[in-house]
Amino acid sequence: MTGIRRRLQQSLATKVILSTVLLSLGVVWITGSALYSRLSDGIRSTSLNSSLAESRYTFFNAQYQMLISQGLKVEERKKILADIVVKASTQGINEERREVIFLKAPSTHVATISYEMSSNIIKSSSIPKELRARVQKSPVLEYAYANAIYNKGEPSESLFVGERLNIPTGGRYEMYLVFSLKNQTATINLIKNSLLLTGIALLLLIGLITWLVVRQVVKPVREAARISTQFTQGDYSQRMKIESHDEMATLAHSYNEMAASIEQQITRLEHLSRVQQRFVSDVSHELRTPLTTLRMASEVIHNQRDSFDPLIARSSELLAAQLDRFEQLLEDLLEVSRFDAEVAILEPVDFDILALIKRCVNDFEIAGGDSTPAIKINSENPTVTIKADIRRIERIMRNLLSNALDHAEGKDVVVTVVASDSDIGIGVRDYGSGLDESALIRVFDRFWRADPSRARVRGGTGLGLSIALEDARLHNGELDAWGRPGKGAHFVLTLPRIAGEPINERPIKVAPIDFHEENFYQ
Amino acid sequence: MTLIMVVDDDQDLAEMLGIVLTSSGFDVDLVSRGDEVLEVFRNNPPDLVLLDVMLPGIDGIEVCRLIRKESMVPIVMLSAKGETQDIVRGLEAGADDYMQKPFRDKAELIARIRTRLRRTNSDVTGLLTIGDISIDVTAHEVHRGSTLIALTRLEFDLLVALAKEPGRVFTRDALLSEVWGYRHSTDTRLVNVHVQRLRSKIEHDAERPEIVMTVRGVGYKAGGTA
Repeated sequence: MTGIRRRLQQSLATKVILSTVLLSLGVVWITGSALYSRLSDGIRSTSLNSSLAESRYTFFNAQYQMLISQGLKVEERKKILADIVVKASTQGINEERREVIFLKAPSTHVATISYEMSSNIIKSSSIPKELRARVQKSPVLEYAYANAIYNKGEPSESLFVGERLNIPTGGRYEMYLVFSLKNQTATINLIKNSLLLTGIALLLLIGLITWLVVRQVVKPVREAARISTQFTQGDYSQRMKIESHDEMATLAHSYNEMAASIEQQITRLEHLSRVQQRFVSDVSHELRTPLTTLRMASEVIHNQRDSFDPLIARSSELLAAQLDRFEQLLEDLLEVSRFDAEVAILEPVDFDILALIKRCVNDFEIAGGDSTPAIKINSENPTVTIKADIRRIERIMRNLLSNALDHAEGKDVVVTVVASDSDIGIGVRDYGSGLDESALIRVFDRFWRADPSRARVRGGTGLGLSIALEDARLHNGELDAWGRPGKGAHFVLTLPRIAGEPINERPIKVAPIDFHEENFYQ
Repeated sequence: MTLIMVVDDDQDLAEMLGIVLTSSGFDVDLVSRGDEVLEVFRNNPPDLVLLDVMLPGIDGIEVCRLIRKESMVPIVMLSAKGETQDIVRGLEAGADDYMQKPFRDKAELIARIRTRLRRTNSDVTGLLTIGDISIDVTAHEVHRGSTLIALTRLEFDLLVALAKEPGRVFTRDALLSEVWGYRHSTDTRLVNVHVQRLRSKIEHDAERPEIVMTVRGVGYKAGGTA
């Protein structure tokens, strides 16, 4: 049922064919029934009239014979009655045999002699009681349709015509003529069947014609739909065929023009974007060779700084530091251009992420010296093995740690690692300046800084968090940020334990457990 | 004196490399075109080649392949492109190590060069046997039966590192520090590519290794101990 409904909703052809056939069915049904009832009524009334006329004659003749045989003996009278029965029942050559019944009318008069008789194969009990009642009361003849029951053979629908008959000195009798309607019923059935067959044939033909007509219209529509679907799926070379000069051709023509224009635009934009990405990548590569020379030169100078004038020595330090930053920026730009060009490749290996985090933390502590806030690591497990791109995970951790240390304002930074069977959560929590709502929205934007007026402590490139987000997404992971002004920030990295698998659960929620909203607003 | 051939088309970088290497006590031969390398190489065989990937004439990867045909000299590729395919292509062409421009610092460059020049595994001497392979550490030769198998110095070091403790599983990180002298690198491509190359030379069937075996998810070990 739902299948049919879906087909109806989805197929224009089915809808049109079905409604046409249903409406035609109504029309054929009404005209067919009208025709049938007119024809069958006509046949019935013609046959009824002739049967009644014949009955009238037969009854009159029988009554007359009885009257003139008043003086005869009972046997002779019976013979006369039998003659009447035989004559009446065999009347007509081409017609069906009639049956004749004489019945004694129920009355007070008790006769010793019974003249009851019938043409022998019919059962007198098949005369409807209602007809007998009418005949007994009525002075003229009465009739009814009913099934005649025979001693042998099937009962058949028949016309019963009856009238009262007085047999002088014999009492009151009823005489019935039974006309079989076999022929008539057969004719009517023939008409009915012909009408039914014609109707069904007509419906099938109408359905077929509708299907042919609808197909002409629907086929190009279906074709158009197929082509636009393929176009949507990225096959921009798809065009509609123009085979005629009708409305469909106009539609196809304007569709093709639109498709050509879109294809052109897309090609142009793709080209532009490719050119731009290549440019960024080429620039970054071209800058590397001179940067290498610069770095080495600066190092040679830097190594000799003890023998320099203090101003030159300091300049050489600045030179070296800025070259570092320049290199980092170049590296980040190149990485961003790889993400934009969608050529970043994941190279997953199995490794212990806790060991990696410890190493990163250690490096930061060594690099920062005593001024760096302490970094604590919380983990229930001593090792957590995951399958991921170790280079990218290390970069995410360094970016998150560097970001946290930049904003920690001297307070401790806490790294929490929680692993489930399928996923791992890493939270990096600081208790420093924090982030407000507007900052949270933009925190992963490229070159965005939480507070432009603030001094850059660690001299990040401004691309770190956005690269970290891309790295996480490449693993099918997530990177979320939480923050409240003055209450610090919480960055949560959620990764599937096997890179690329979907995330089932998030072991760490982004709202930190050590923070309660109500306390904040009091 | 140790002679290092520096092949780079960037004159300034080549000169700078020259200054740095000379100041560290090496002799330096500068070549700026890929198609000139082989001639200079034959006339004055260096102890190590620093080879840029992008070169006029013939590109660095092809040059690397040509040098490998005649010599087992250590080759360190210099690459401005950090793309995986370039690095793997260079390593497959026969380079022992690669450095991505810009180098982290001068010390890193010198350290890598010294590692490649050093006669490694000085703690092991004599004869090691692994499967049907015999390794003469002192003579720096590898034989299968009476057949000599030619290995680069790095391949030899890799094999010895594994063979001196047969059955011990080495992680890729451990091999990186043992053979390449990296403090902590996460670049496992180096190990993977060289293990493949080593296998293609010493295994009967590199697809089903019997000498250098992979321990899934961990690293490699030397198997088939006799």
